[in-house]
Amino acid sequence: MNSIEAQHLTHRFANGDLALDDVSLRVKEGSIYGFLGPNGAGKTTTLRLLLGLLKKQKGHIQFFGQDFAAKRIEILRQIGSLIESPSIYSHLTATENLLLWQKLYQCPKNRIPEVLRLVGLGDTGHKKTGQFSLGMKQRLAIAVALLHSPQLLILDEPTNGLDPHGMVEMRELLKALNQQQGITLLISSHLLAEIEKLVTDVGIIHRGQLLFEGSLQALHQKQQEASSLVFVVNDPTAALALIQPVFPSVRAESDRILLPSLAQTDIARLNQQFVNQGIDVYGIQTTQSDLESIFMTMTND
Amino acid sequence: MQFIHSFQSEWLKTKRSLAFWLVVVGSFFIPLLMTVGRVIYADNLAKLVPLPNFWEQLLSQSWQFMAILLLPMGVILATSLITQLEFRNNTWKQLHATPQTFSTIFWAKLAVILSMMLGFFVLFNVGMYFSGIVPSALLPTVNLPAAAFPLRLYAETSGFFFVDCLPIVALQYLVSLQFRNFLMPLSVGIGVLLASMIAVEWKYGYTLPYTYCLYNFFKLRGATMPATGHTNIHLWALGYFALVTLASYVLYLLKSEK
Repeated sequence: MNSIEAQHLTHRFANGDLALDDVSLRVKEGSIYGFLGPNGAGKTTTLRLLLGLLKKQKGHIQFFGQDFAAKRIEILRQIGSLIESPSIYSHLTATENLLLWQKLYQCPKNRIPEVLRLVGLGDTGHKKTGQFSLGMKQRLAIAVALLHSPQLLILDEPTNGLDPHGMVEMRELLKALNQQQGITLLISSHLLAEIEKLVTDVGIIHRGQLLFEGSLQALHQKQQEASSLVFVVNDPTAALALIQPVFPSVRAESDRILLPSLAQTDIARLNQQFVNQGIDVYGIQTTQSDLESIFMTMTND
Repeated sequence: MQFIHSFQSEWLKTKRSLAFWLVVVGSFFIPLLMTVGRVIYADNLAKLVPLPNFWEQLLSQSWQFMAILLLPMGVILATSLITQLEFRNNTWKQLHATPQTFSTIFWAKLAVILSMMLGFFVLFNVGMYFSGIVPSALLPTVNLPAAAFPLRLYAETSGFFFVDCLPIVALQYLVSLQFRNFLMPLSVGIGVLLASMIAVEWKYGYTLPYTYCLYNFFKLRGATMPATGHTNIHLWALGYFALVTLASYVLYLLKSEK
């Protein structure tokens, strides 16, 4: 079953700008879905639409197989969220902040110290949250999202404001929540490097359009496909004629022959073939496209 | 049931907030000044305590300072501060993603504002009572007031002032819900209050929603105002409150971005 199924979401801002253009998302139950895109791509707008914080203009939203518009309250009981910056009452302590959300969710009070410990804020005592660092606020916001033991967490840039150590801790915490408690996560980020260590599925959005949706494995496949091999030779025409029957996608650029990525043994064999045919090989290079460059290619015009 | 939980949650938010301190300090401010003034001018107090209308005079003097400026300003500030807590802390989005209807949020917040106002009136009355007896207790030469404390009169007077404040609460609530900038509700509040003060002697002054506290005070002092005549200002206040609250509710529900 899908925890989230959003279809054909289209949204225009009041000034007429198109924020989302026919975006469809599918977040599988038990997955960690990384929602990627540069700043201003439409990530937050999508998440706000999912949570009903923006009036839906076009499209359908379902959570756990139920229509959001019809079952909003029952659905929100099972969702924890963090949208944009942390929502913290700065004149209250961390415990008081959680207590007021506990009243709304009517979850057991002993969840308050539990979640505070979980996010590493168990010893903040009477300190008002206004005196917290941004990282501490972010962790408290995660505690708020976790307080009522939700089935699904929607987190908008959850590592914002965290130092590298805090980012690793947060990643481990989110992984543990997913693996040990079975919580489905939808996490937005503009940093692929940070997300790819955590997620099982990926959606890439740019300028309001979903450019890719699939498993991380499928994205890696794309990465593999985008990697290439370059032979620098003295006679590219002869080299091209020699290997084109085997590699139809091969092409020549000045003194270079460009091929899809090959295994090391195949590279050696090909080199031998060129030498045997009297073609001098001056160099062999492999260009490895990392996920970041795939992401950049997708999101660059 | 959800409303009660929502109310409890909203009430917790006022803990140690500026609005909370405004209510506590504001309610005891005038009684404290009255107490200090009476202790300093002990001779005058000695002449007052035997009078049968001692408490009526105290009521009128206390409300004189409170009704004209402090009460309307306090209501403007407290209502705006409580509502703007969400904007200031960036918490509207989190609140709107909780499992409760938008209506529950709207009415629970309003109920907290009204409860705080009620709390203010109770504390102000307690303060007035103590400002009547504390100076006598502190000064060995001055007796305690001879007249009994007219609880009913004090409660009725406060009840009318409470009703007369309701239009201020409703309009400030509406503006504070719509605008992120705290200066907006504050400017509207001060602007309408000043206009009301100017218009209070105008024939149709009672049509302005922030005039009713002023009219009630003049009534308390026995002054007749040209504007009020046979007009029941309390009914006007209730009417304004109902109308503006309804408009505020509809506008809040219709907000496309929560």
